Amino acid sequence: MAGTVIGSGISIEGEITSDDDLVISGSVRGKVIGKENVTIEQGASVEADVSGGTLTVQGSITGNINAADRVDLQTGARVIGNVRAARFTIADGAQFKGNVDMDV
Amino acid sequence: MTDVTVIGQGTTVRGRVSGAASLEIQGHVDGEISIEGELTIERDGLVSANVDARVIIVRGAVKGDLVAHDLVSLEAGARVVGDLKAPRIAIAQGALVRGQVQAGGGGSSSKLTSRASKPAMRVESAPRAATPARSEVKPAPRTVPSVLAGARGTNGSSAHASERKAPPPVVPVLKKVKGAIAKRR
Repeated sequence: MAGTVIGSGISIEGEITSDDDLVISGSVRGKVIGKENVTIEQGASVEADVSGGTLTVQGSITGNINAADRVDLQTGARVIGNVRAARFTIADGAQFKGNVDMDV
Repeated sequence: MTDVTVIGQGTTVRGRVSGAASLEIQGHVDGEISIEGELTIERDGLVSANVDARVIIVRGAVKGDLVAHDLVSLEAGARVVGDLKAPRIAIAQGALVRGQVQAGGGGSSSKLTSRASKPAMRVESAPRAATPARSEVKPAPRTVPSVLAGARGTNGSSAHASERKAPPPVVPVLKKVKGAIAKRR
C-alpha cells in the first residue's frame, strides 16, 4: 500500500509527481502526475490536469484527465474536463461534462 | 485513514502545502509547507522549503527554515541547513544542523518577523559576533609577552602600548565570519 495520501485537511498548490499509488482526499490546485493508481476520494477538490495509470474518481475534478489504462467515475464524482483513456466508465450518479477520447 | 497525509517515497511535490492537518514526508517536497498540525520528515524525506507547523520532527533532510509554534525535534539522522525557531527545540545526537537556533520565546510572532527581518536577524546575531571576541582572547596572550619583553628591553612603553592596541585581529576574524555567513547563503 504505502504510497502517497493527501488527507482531507491538506491543500496543495503546485505539482504532485508520484511513481507510487496516489490517494487525494484534500484539495489540489496545479498538476497531478501519477504513474500507478490515482484515487480522488469523496470530498476531494482537484483543480488540475490529472494523469495516471488507473484513475478512480469519487470527488471533484476540474481539469483534463489522462490515464494510461482506465478511468472510472464512481457515484458522487463530479468531473469537468476532457478524458483520454483506453477504458472509461461512468457510474450512475456521477456528473461529467467534457469530451471523451478512447483511442478508437 | 485519509485524515493522515503522507507524501510517499516515490512522490515529489513542488509548490505550497498548507492546511490544518498533520503531514508525514517520506518523499520530496520543494516549495513551502505551512500546516497547523504535526510535520514529520522521515529518514528518506527531502524537504527544500521553509516550514511552519505546530510540531516539526525531522529524521531526514531539510534545506530551509523551520518555525514551530510548539516544538522542533531533530532526531538522529536529521540533516538541516536553515534556521530553527520554536519555544522548544530538541537536537538529538547524530543530528546535523547548520543555521541559527532560537529556542524559547513564543514562536507565534515568528512567521512574519522571521521572514521580513531576516537580514536584521543576521545583524542581530551579536551572540555570534561574540565568537570573534573569544578568538580575540587568543592573540592577546601572544602579544602581551612580546610587549612585556619589549617593555623590559626599552622604556618606550607608550609606543608599545599603542602596539598593543594596534593588532586587534578582529577584522580578519570578522571576514571569516562574514564568509561563513555568505557560504551558508
